[in-house]
Amino acid sequence: MDLITSLFPWITNGPLIAVQVMSGLSVGMFLFLVSVGMSLIFGVTRIVNLAHGSFYMVSAYLMVTLVEWLPEGATGFWISLVLAPIGVAILGGVIEVTLLRRIYHRDPMMQLILTFGLILIIGTLVLLVWGPDNKSVSRPDALAGSVRIFGQPFPSYYLLVLGLAPVVAVGLWLVFYRTRWGMLVRAATVDREMLGALGVDVSTLYTEVFVFGSWLAGLGGALAAPTVAVALGMDADVLINAFVVVVIGGLGSFAGTLISALLVGELQSFGILIFPAVSIVLLFAIMAVVLIVRPWGLLGRPEE
Amino acid sequence: MTRATATWAIGFVVALALPLVLSTFFIVLLIEIAVVALFATAFNLLMGFGGMVSFGHAAYFALGAYAASLLAQKAGWPMLAALAAAPVVAAFGALIFGFFIVRLTHTYFAMLSLAFGQIVYTIIFKWTSLTGGDNGLLNVWPPAFLRSHTAYYYFTLLVIGACFLALYAVVTSPFGYALKAIRENPRRARFIGVNVRRHQLYAFVLSGFFSGVAGGIFAFHNGSVFPDFAFFAKSFEPLVVVLLGGVQSFYGPLAGAFGFKLLEWVISKWAPIYWPLFLGAIVIAVILVLPQGFVGLLERRTWRPRPSIGK
Amino acid sequence: MATAAVDREVVLETRVLKKQFGGILAVRDVDLAIPRGDLRAIIGPNGAGKTTLFNLITGDIRHDSGVIRFCGEEISALPPDQVCRRGLGRTFQITSVFRRLTVLENVQTAILVHRRRHYNLFARAGRLYRDAALALLERVGLAGQAPKPSGILSHGDQRRLELAIALASEPRLLMLDEPTAGMAPRERHALMALVAKIAADTGLTVLFTEHDMDVVFAVARRITVMHQGAVIAEGAPRDIRLDPEVQRIYLGYTKAD
Repeated sequence: MDLITSLFPWITNGPLIAVQVMSGLSVGMFLFLVSVGMSLIFGVTRIVNLAHGSFYMVSAYLMVTLVEWLPEGATGFWISLVLAPIGVAILGGVIEVTLLRRIYHRDPMMQLILTFGLILIIGTLVLLVWGPDNKSVSRPDALAGSVRIFGQPFPSYYLLVLGLAPVVAVGLWLVFYRTRWGMLVRAATVDREMLGALGVDVSTLYTEVFVFGSWLAGLGGALAAPTVAVALGMDADVLINAFVVVVIGGLGSFAGTLISALLVGELQSFGILIFPAVSIVLLFAIMAVVLIVRPWGLLGRPEE
Repeated sequence: MTRATATWAIGFVVALALPLVLSTFFIVLLIEIAVVALFATAFNLLMGFGGMVSFGHAAYFALGAYAASLLAQKAGWPMLAALAAAPVVAAFGALIFGFFIVRLTHTYFAMLSLAFGQIVYTIIFKWTSLTGGDNGLLNVWPPAFLRSHTAYYYFTLLVIGACFLALYAVVTSPFGYALKAIRENPRRARFIGVNVRRHQLYAFVLSGFFSGVAGGIFAFHNGSVFPDFAFFAKSFEPLVVVLLGGVQSFYGPLAGAFGFKLLEWVISKWAPIYWPLFLGAIVIAVILVLPQGFVGLLERRTWRPRPSIGK
Repeated sequence: MATAAVDREVVLETRVLKKQFGGILAVRDVDLAIPRGDLRAIIGPNGAGKTTLFNLITGDIRHDSGVIRFCGEEISALPPDQVCRRGLGRTFQITSVFRRLTVLENVQTAILVHRRRHYNLFARAGRLYRDAALALLERVGLAGQAPKPSGILSHGDQRRLELAIALASEPRLLMLDEPTAGMAPRERHALMALVAKIAADTGLTVLFTEHDMDVVFAVARRITVMHQGAVIAEGAPRDIRLDPEVQRIYLGYTKAD
């Protein structure tokens, strides 16, 4: 017992643990937003969009610009938060229509390579437009400080995420399980051909799904902008994280992505306490194990 | 002597003579072309001949580069010994990662290989005490007799030439035939007695080994190594080279390497910032313009009966 | 139902073999005993479980219960490549050749894998076992096509090639899954006559599934009839033809006699 407490002095520190858990939840929710978009796109179109991290990054950079242009203060911030994801959604739509549509019938390898190429293109464009320096977005005054939770400091901005995320999750659930469109999307993840045979315009559905998925990635990026350094290389970090989440949770599974994102968030949060360098390797190790034992993820469906 | 052998002999002689006529700049370029060509050919062992597309192959290049550098610099090994050990380290990495990766196919194979590639990058980046982290390792120089570019060029030609011969041997060996069979039809291969997973793992290790050689050679040429040798964007390069030069043939990556490096030189002169964009655009253009896809890429060759077969 | 004459050595044996997919019992309590030298046809309507049975025997899928024995040795849990090495050869329902390799290379590869030389990194594979490969191709009538990429062969020729590939592993039991599918009637008879001749020459035991009853009755020594996963009849062709149960299921399949 003494060995454990000396290695992990925080382990008996209840309040600290509680705060870490909440922090992990926030991280998890960011991951969820980005990952669910990727999972959704794969579930319907069977394409793993490697450029997903790039969308996240573009949204963060858009936030920087929008916040600069719009009047100072909370209103400007909120408007930017709404607009940035929409900008990315438009970008996603354009990409889907001009490029992805031509390769749906092709070998999955070609599709992956194409989205891989997009990472480079978008990355360079971001560099050209915004330059190589790190950027940042200030939090709105109301959320700039920290509150005390169980006596421990906790950034107020994270409360926004913790508050917004369940709203988004519930919203997504409503969309997928209570709207006609959502039903079509779920049907498409199960059997695309049948859906087409039933007269649904699958092609437009694909575009809509891709736009929606991109919007989700953009929402994640816009929300994250005030918490991280907005810099080149964000795309790679987020991509790999989203990857891990989606693979563990199951490509195409909403619930799986949620659980997995929260799990990964917590792991990262506590991992930093335990042994920072190891946490990321641990993450990959878990993903590798999942891929071997249950390649379709915890809640995914086996591929044919 | 067949025509192919004759062509190669002539090519080799030409290559030997080149430093006499070319400026240092071009000699350096040739060295880098050779490195890229070897890396891409090793990569193509998996992609073109094995039907497995790895998205994290830069990891093995980087392992080779770092192993060579660390052994030479921190352990005081002579360059040749360090260079000999580099591919072994890379192959070992390929063995460990490959063990997990070959259990999967297609999309998941690509994704896991990408993830493992990033693990290597992250480890190199974070293990600052060993690898120097973001600052990389500097002053990794070959011994005095190899320090001139011309001398290193001949050395590279020797080593990489030998590796090419070895890879060619692999591809035309029984091992290579079985690998191609797996690529064509894994189920059928299984039912002539091939242990598909094991065979693919061995191919993966071989590919990692030669990628490590490329990395080691490059380390001493460049004089320094950095974590982004393992970054996933770098894994894109052999892919582009192979797509450019032709997936189906053994020499495709070599041709692609020339094209790739020359393109890089031109773009870097004009506007280096555009290089990744250009890279991505080329690949997307190549993909869109080839309607038959990956399989079609491999099926492009026109059928011609070879005269030597028959009773 | 007449049982097989067990004075001959039993090459393949399954007992109470069972496989369930979800709610469907694809193979139920199948007992099978194939003696050496038999030319056994397994017939049954689509969905009877024939291919599942094949896949269970060859190790492509795991059985739920029961035993599979080959030449006395239990092979129930072995993976396909191990099953092949024990002496089982197989062709697939959908033609499976190595399309981008030449006809000759297809057979050469099969032979060198069979001889366990496929980990060899140094030999020139193109020169290995050419005579043996050509002999096999000669046997199936494809020697003239040796240098061609197998993918461009006609369907019938690809089937023959697949037969040669399976034979390259020197099997004791050859399992052919719908070997004549997609062929014209004359081609079908020709292929199965070839199989029968090879079997007679080399003492090979053959197990095959087939839908064309003419071919079955012309070639098979014994017939096993499956329906909905179970064996419902087994015996000499003459007896099977007259079996009322079989006739009931196959009304329309058999030629009226």
